[in-house]
Amino acid sequence: MKQDFIKFPLHLILHPFDGFWDMKFESKGKVRVSLAILLMLVLTVILQKQFAGFLVNFVDPRGLNSLDDLQFTVLPFFLFCVANWSITTLMEGEGKFKEIVMATGYALLPIVLINLPITFISRFITQEETAFYWLLNSVASIWFILLLFIGIMTVHQYTPAKAVLTLALTVVAMGFVVFLGTLAFSLGLQIYWFIYDVYREIIFRT
Amino acid sequence: MQRKRVLLLAAILTLATTIVVPSASAAAPYEAYNYDFYGDPAPLPAPYLPDYSISGSSLGVGDFNQPNDMYVTQDGIIYILDSGNARVVVLDSNLKVLQVITSFDNNGKEDGFAAPEGLFVSEKKEIYVADTDHNRVVVLSNDGKLIKMIENPKSDILPSGFKFFPLKVTVDKADRIFVVARGVFEGIMQFDDKSMFMGYVGTINVSPSIWDRIWRSLSTNAQKRQMELFIPTEFASVDIDSKGFVYATAVDMTSDKTIKRLNPSGQDVLKRFGYWPVKGEIRFRRFGNNSGPSKLTDIKVLDGGMYVALDSNRARLFTYNDEGDLLYVFGGRGNQLGVFNTPVAVERIGDKLAVLDRGKNNIAVFRPTEFGNLVRKATIQHYNGNDTEAVKLWEQVLRLNTNYEIAYLGIGKSLLMEKKNKEAMEYFKLGMSRKDFSVAYKRYRREVMKEHFGSFMTVLLSLVTAFIAYRIARQVIRRRTGKREAGFY
Repeated sequence: MKQDFIKFPLHLILHPFDGFWDMKFESKGKVRVSLAILLMLVLTVILQKQFAGFLVNFVDPRGLNSLDDLQFTVLPFFLFCVANWSITTLMEGEGKFKEIVMATGYALLPIVLINLPITFISRFITQEETAFYWLLNSVASIWFILLLFIGIMTVHQYTPAKAVLTLALTVVAMGFVVFLGTLAFSLGLQIYWFIYDVYREIIFRT
Repeated sequence: MQRKRVLLLAAILTLATTIVVPSASAAAPYEAYNYDFYGDPAPLPAPYLPDYSISGSSLGVGDFNQPNDMYVTQDGIIYILDSGNARVVVLDSNLKVLQVITSFDNNGKEDGFAAPEGLFVSEKKEIYVADTDHNRVVVLSNDGKLIKMIENPKSDILPSGFKFFPLKVTVDKADRIFVVARGVFEGIMQFDDKSMFMGYVGTINVSPSIWDRIWRSLSTNAQKRQMELFIPTEFASVDIDSKGFVYATAVDMTSDKTIKRLNPSGQDVLKRFGYWPVKGEIRFRRFGNNSGPSKLTDIKVLDGGMYVALDSNRARLFTYNDEGDLLYVFGGRGNQLGVFNTPVAVERIGDKLAVLDRGKNNIAVFRPTEFGNLVRKATIQHYNGNDTEAVKLWEQVLRLNTNYEIAYLGIGKSLLMEKKNKEAMEYFKLGMSRKDFSVAYKRYRREVMKEHFGSFMTVLLSLVTAFIAYRIARQVIRRRTGKREAGFY
């Protein structure tokens, strides 16, 4: 338990090449750990929006909605995983969907580990010290992107150039998925309203 | 039966009173608002309510015809420039007509105005009229005698064949004359007391956008000749404050600095410390009906560093304080009293505001409400440095409108002066000022740390001592057990 949830993730974010290799080939990674990290991220986002200090918190409190935060964190995560899986399947990637989920989830860990404590610290800083807050925030993001890149590279056994290419294509594919999704949704609605109208037409006609 | 009748009577009476007596607060024909920190228009209690209107026929001098400008002196004498009738109507503070100037004696000849656009009255009670179609500024004494005229400005920096079309005019204490002229893009024309052209002040910089530049660099010479030139915008109006600073507005669609405050050397020194640019409307539609940024066509400096700008696009009045915070916005288009058709000039009559409407040919006079008065007084007190007085007024303002951020900031700043840092933090947070909050928080944090330094260090030292003692004890116990174990061998 301790090994799965604490030791291995911490080892992975500090030694990413080694860690992702172990995750894939020594089957040290667990999907449930990855999903736990994702949930922690949702929690971080919610806490950060709600409780970050006044000086760094530019969120309009009238627009706070934890359910929105949940779906806008979880949905892009799976959107990325699905898009990446679709692209890499076509491009001779060796990773399984499970592994992509794991790699992406583990890569998110630095954001959780950095943003949670600085949210707390941000309540005790002055304007001049907010620079550190933003610095740590960007460090977390850059660390995440680096880990994601290494993770995808290792999981699919790609060269760095190919990993960059697939990541770029993944973004494009995410756009496609969103487009197709909205299209299907809107068509579905049209069909629904058509059937509903026909139904109303019939019951009022008798 | 008797009882029923009495009841019926009572019922009728109550019904009648509810119908006859209108609600105590007369509703304004517009919605006043202010922009909050998030850029949303936040409704306000109306700061001003329409009081009465003045028209030519109500004064008995015949209807106004396209009046273009007006001026009200400190003692409440009202000068109206009735352009279509080419006359200046002068009223005293009780709205009695003092005189109507239609003509003046120009070296023995009878002379008049032609489509004049601007009017100003100096502190010496001299009347300055921008006599646009006669290409001159006419200076009259208060009883209508010609003093001098400013025409045909001569200078090396003016192009040959320059035509002088003065639109608005303002005069400072040293009798220097500032003229906004049509077709002059270099700035405001400045004349000395001997009517000599001195030069321009307050040139507006042109800054073509990146997109404009890319587009221009891609186009051919023939296309470039067809294009619009990047010409700075003209000024639309001028006014002067008691310190001799010139306030000017420009109609510029792309600029965020349409209101300028020019110091004697012509630099813009307007304070823009508010959350939003000092340019009138912040949120507006880009296309379609009622769209586009504010067209500020007149400005008037009020007491306590406040100034009010008139947006002719949506017919609204924007009042700012000296630091560039928007205080309130009111007005609108319509036919009722208090809304406008084509507002062209705004003036102050005592604590009231007067707006000249060219389309309706009348003047609407607004009286301040309780809220408007409180905000005005508090701003003046704050401007004059009487913060304790201001705080009392701001507290009353907050009783009328709890969403008024400037009031919170006013109270917060005074609390900060009194070293009540924690309370100040709370007020700055409500006023959404991160800068001030940070200052208050820094002081508060230092205070707390000083106060608790002793106990903090005690706890820390005892923890360290406890830890060391624990380590030593563990070591000792381990060594002892080790020895004992060793004894078995």
